[in-house]
Amino acid sequence: MENMTNNDVMLRLTQIHKRFGDLEILKGINLELKKGEVMAVIGPSGSGKSTLLRCINRLEEIDSGKIEIKGRVLAQNNGENVAEYVSEKESRNILSCTGMVFQQFNLFPHMTVMQNLLEAPVQVQKRKKEEVIPEAEALLKKVGLLEKKDWYPSRLSGGQQQRVAIARALCMKPDIMLFDEPTSALDPELTGEVLKTMRELADEHMTMMVVTHEMNFAREAASHVVFVEGGVIVEEGPARQVIDNPQEERTQAFLKNML
Amino acid sequence: MHTVVLMLEGTQVTLQIFFITLIFSLPLGLLAAFGRLSSLKLVSRFMEFYIWLMRGTPLMLQLLFVYFALPMVGIMLPDLVAALLAFTLNYAAYFAEIFRAGIQSISKGQYEAAKTLGMTHKQTMRRIIIPQMIRYVLPPVSNETINLVKDTSLIYILAMNDLLRVARTIVQREFDMTPFVVAAVFYLIMTAVLTWGFKKLEAYYGKYDK
Ligand SMILES: Nc1ncnc2c1ncn2[C@@H]1O[C@H](COP(=O)(O)OP(=O)(O)O)[C@@H](O)[C@H]1O
Ligand SMILES: [Mg+2]
Repeated sequence: MENMTNNDVMLRLTQIHKRFGDLEILKGINLELKKGEVMAVIGPSGSGKSTLLRCINRLEEIDSGKIEIKGRVLAQNNGENVAEYVSEKESRNILSCTGMVFQQFNLFPHMTVMQNLLEAPVQVQKRKKEEVIPEAEALLKKVGLLEKKDWYPSRLSGGQQQRVAIARALCMKPDIMLFDEPTSALDPELTGEVLKTMRELADEHMTMMVVTHEMNFAREAASHVVFVEGGVIVEEGPARQVIDNPQEERTQAFLKNML
Repeated sequence: MHTVVLMLEGTQVTLQIFFITLIFSLPLGLLAAFGRLSSLKLVSRFMEFYIWLMRGTPLMLQLLFVYFALPMVGIMLPDLVAALLAFTLNYAAYFAEIFRAGIQSISKGQYEAAKTLGMTHKQTMRRIIIPQMIRYVLPPVSNETINLVKDTSLIYILAMNDLLRVARTIVQREFDMTPFVVAAVFYLIMTAVLTWGFKKLEAYYGKYDK
């Protein structure tokens, strides 16, 4: 038997509700991410996957429910069942252990690859540049782009840009990495290099939550798969079980479409 | 030869107004742009009104207003200060609109990336948004700046001896058109230097997109 202490839970979502205007996008999501787990979030487009991810790091704010990150409460309901957030400062502090990779990379175009990596450690963590540079170089080497460290992002391919974006997030030494369809904006021949980087990260037991349409990646690199449709979790379980042997009809229909 | 010396003195007045206006109106324009984009309705409405007023009336009228109307309500300003006030308020409004468009042209993803890296709003503006904005706004700012060189000649109505007024005085006194030609050449030199400077700046800030 596994004996899970609270410390092993990196992220816990309880009864998350989120609406845009009159439209309820997340309808009561419960979810737990443990240390070292790789969770793949799959589901049709428009089902609320990005919104779910963006609620975790407060790019969007939930309407009701509870968000806990490494045991610290980011938001929880008040007496009227309306979620209330901690202060901006506290929130930044709690979220400092999370990193995010976007579909559109979002590198800073006016900075070189190296400057992109150094920016947050130096400006936010107030670390010495000389001290961060070796770490940044090690990360760039890991994603295979050390020789591009003085290039501006516009000169890199999409796959290279995304690998820089991953390195930039890792340079803040996060404990949880969130990926929102990291390969969806890439030409098919470039997805492999990004997926490889993510697999390596998974092998190093980075805790990850990955929204993806790459079913092979979900099956092989993820420990858990969550299938979301219409703002609810329809099915979840061990990756291979959900993908190879889905129990719910809606999951079966979705996966049939993907292959 | 005496003519040229007089005209150089006039050029000094012109350049003085030009530089001081630029130095004040650029930061003021940036502040106004932030005000215009503020989520505080009162602030953004006020800035909208200010920009509308300054861009919707002739600069000449604004100059006359500061020069003649303010003293009537007891506000006495030295000539140069009055002129600078009108120029600065007017140009800040134009710069504000340029900066606002520049800030808005930067994608939401840049703010989000900065936020997920833990940067505060202030850090995001200073380190991520404004440097990128500068690149976008350089061409329109360059246009406005060149307009400013020429607009400085409007102060001739305030009886200040700028380049154009000096030229006109000499022409009227000596019935010789040469000072006008010389003035044109002076203006051309100033705008050419500016054009060159902005080209350099654009090249510097454009180095990151290929
Ligand atoms: N900022 C927003 N304002 C209004 N509606 C939004 C916003 N973001 C997402 N939505 C809507 O929420 C729904 C879920 O979107 P999203 O989370 O992006 O789905 P997915 O990532 O699964 O494709 C969609 O219908 C989308 O149009
Ligand atoms: Mg999405």
